[in-house]
Amino acid sequence: MIEDFATVYVAEITRRIKSRPYIIGLLVGVIAIMLVFKLPSFLDRTIASTRTILLAGDPSLVARAKPLLAGDYDIVGTIASGAIDDAVLVRHHAGGAVALRADRAGLHVTIYAHDPGNIGRADIRNDLLPLQLELTTGRSAGAVAKITAIPVSLRTVASKFSSAGQALAVRGVTYTLLFFLYLLTVLNSQLVMSSVAEEKTSRIAELLVASVNPSTLLAGKVLASATLGFLQLAVWIGAAVYVGSSAPSQIHGASAEQMMSLGNVLDAVTPGLIAAFFVWFIIGFLQLSTLFAAAASLINRTEDIGSIAFPLVMPILAAFFIAIAGLAAPDSSLVVVCSYVPLLAPFVMFVRIAVSNVPAWQIALSLAINLAALYLIAVLAGKIYRVGMLLYGRSPSIRQVWSVITS
Amino acid sequence: MLEVDHVRKEFGSVRAVSDVHFSIADATTFGLLGPNGAGKTTTMRIILGILVPDAGRVIWNGAPIHDESRRHFGYLPEERGIYGKMKVREQIAYFGKLHGLRDPDLRTRVDSWIERLGLTVYAERPCAELSKGNQQKVQVACAAVHAPQLLVLDEPFSGLDPVNAEVLLSVLAEMQKNGTTLILSSHQMWQLEHLCTRFCIISGGENRAEGSLAELRAAWPTRVVRTAFANGEGTTDSVVPAGSDFAAMLRELVAARPVTMFEVMEPSLHEIYLRAIGETVA
Repeated sequence: MIEDFATVYVAEITRRIKSRPYIIGLLVGVIAIMLVFKLPSFLDRTIASTRTILLAGDPSLVARAKPLLAGDYDIVGTIASGAIDDAVLVRHHAGGAVALRADRAGLHVTIYAHDPGNIGRADIRNDLLPLQLELTTGRSAGAVAKITAIPVSLRTVASKFSSAGQALAVRGVTYTLLFFLYLLTVLNSQLVMSSVAEEKTSRIAELLVASVNPSTLLAGKVLASATLGFLQLAVWIGAAVYVGSSAPSQIHGASAEQMMSLGNVLDAVTPGLIAAFFVWFIIGFLQLSTLFAAAASLINRTEDIGSIAFPLVMPILAAFFIAIAGLAAPDSSLVVVCSYVPLLAPFVMFVRIAVSNVPAWQIALSLAINLAALYLIAVLAGKIYRVGMLLYGRSPSIRQVWSVITS
Repeated sequence: MLEVDHVRKEFGSVRAVSDVHFSIADATTFGLLGPNGAGKTTTMRIILGILVPDAGRVIWNGAPIHDESRRHFGYLPEERGIYGKMKVREQIAYFGKLHGLRDPDLRTRVDSWIERLGLTVYAERPCAELSKGNQQKVQVACAAVHAPQLLVLDEPFSGLDPVNAEVLLSVLAEMQKNGTTLILSSHQMWQLEHLCTRFCIISGGENRAEGSLAELRAAWPTRVVRTAFANGEGTTDSVVPAGSDFAAMLRELVAARPVTMFEVMEPSLHEIYLRAIGETVA
């Protein structure tokens, strides 16, 4: 039994690691990771162009406004007065212009831009509020600064995070891992499905089940796929670390605060989080890939893979979105309930563990339910697989499949 | 020794095998005959342990079929299958490994089968690039590389040209000589007639006739007597009861006129087969 398993396992890995779908999946993942890391800096540059402004107005007024706006805007120039048109904006490489005028009623601001919505009227208003107060109340800049400096303190209540930065970092890391979890589970389960379908449609299945116990064959396939999934993950993490390590220097205007958040990210990747990721990946992958293998054993044409895979992917897709919702509301009723449901729990419970303090009994209960479900799925899928691999001709009806399950 | 003891198998409302029973001595070749849908493939799958019978049992060397005994079985299914992208040598070696072979024995046997079946020039090529006949030879090698004690071949000659069919016949004869028990199913009766020592004809999922060719012929109720006379009128066939006194018949003929030919013709396997399944149809 063990020898047969090892033979199937090694043969599956050797065959599949060279297969086009696996290599393409691996490369697409690496490219996606690079995009995830590079896109923000690219977008940052792109979006920043709409936040480059030209300040217009009385020089003393502009001089007082400039430091207030500098936090949110890249001020590319100042002009005393005159008409502001497209030529002026182009000449100064500005996405827009903010014209300032003051009278006894206070500050008057006019925004000129190709797309004024992108300049951010609320930001301008907030940034210039101290100046407005200075002008209307006649107080000094220091006094206004003292008035507007509202002391705000943070107190975490029953949270696993020590700071807002850490909470943000953990959510980011969890989101990334959730994305990996989804990608790994679905991609590798579909590879198991393709492998079974190939053996079924190439008619080699009968020779195989005559040579080796079908359950051993199925186990070898599924675990080989899990191994390849981990290998894929290792490559993706390697790519992420490589790209990520070169990212800070390339991020446009990365501030010291942003650099500190990278520290938060590293702190967020705890051994507990990694352990939860692996445990729930294994459970989720085994549940789904076993179901996929059973379904694939029932088809007679490779063209039918898509139609049979679609209904099986639906709950995983639902789990992915519920888990994303769980990042913000890990204790909502829907998220808590779904964290026990087989096929959904591997995603939802992982997110709950990552971003909230889940009681140990809830984790244990979810694990127990999902391991029991995995056993049940393996038994039922094994039955379907054993018979399905020998069925040729017309695809069996749901009634026939049910009779196989209940036999 | 293999004993198939009144096996029955149903798939939902369809009864594929009702009652099939026979026994096969070691190192003999057994022909399992029957029309399409007779239950041959299901019976073979039950023998190999791929399917579990609803009733009855299969005994191999005094014990029910289990995973360890299956390791010594080989199977060439009717539905031929192959890993198209896998190379010929890799494919044969994979099935050898699944049956417990390991290097260096595995390598020796794989090389031997490649050479024996004339596949040397294709050994490092993907199977999909081979002709249908050569793919079939690869499948035979996959089924036999581990020198099985029991080799089950479902329609092994279909798709083979006469030359390759001869190669396969000689390979099977050699395997039997070396101690392998063979079960063959084929619609080409003349090949089975020469190869098999015993037969079982099944139809509608149950036994219709079983025994050696001599036993099956002995049960045939009539004989054809072919005669020719000196006057050059050609041959004449007469159907007479099987128990007739042929010596007395010949004496009577010779006394009446000059006889140049007197032959009592035994029924062929093909005739026995048609009669056996014809009864089912009737």
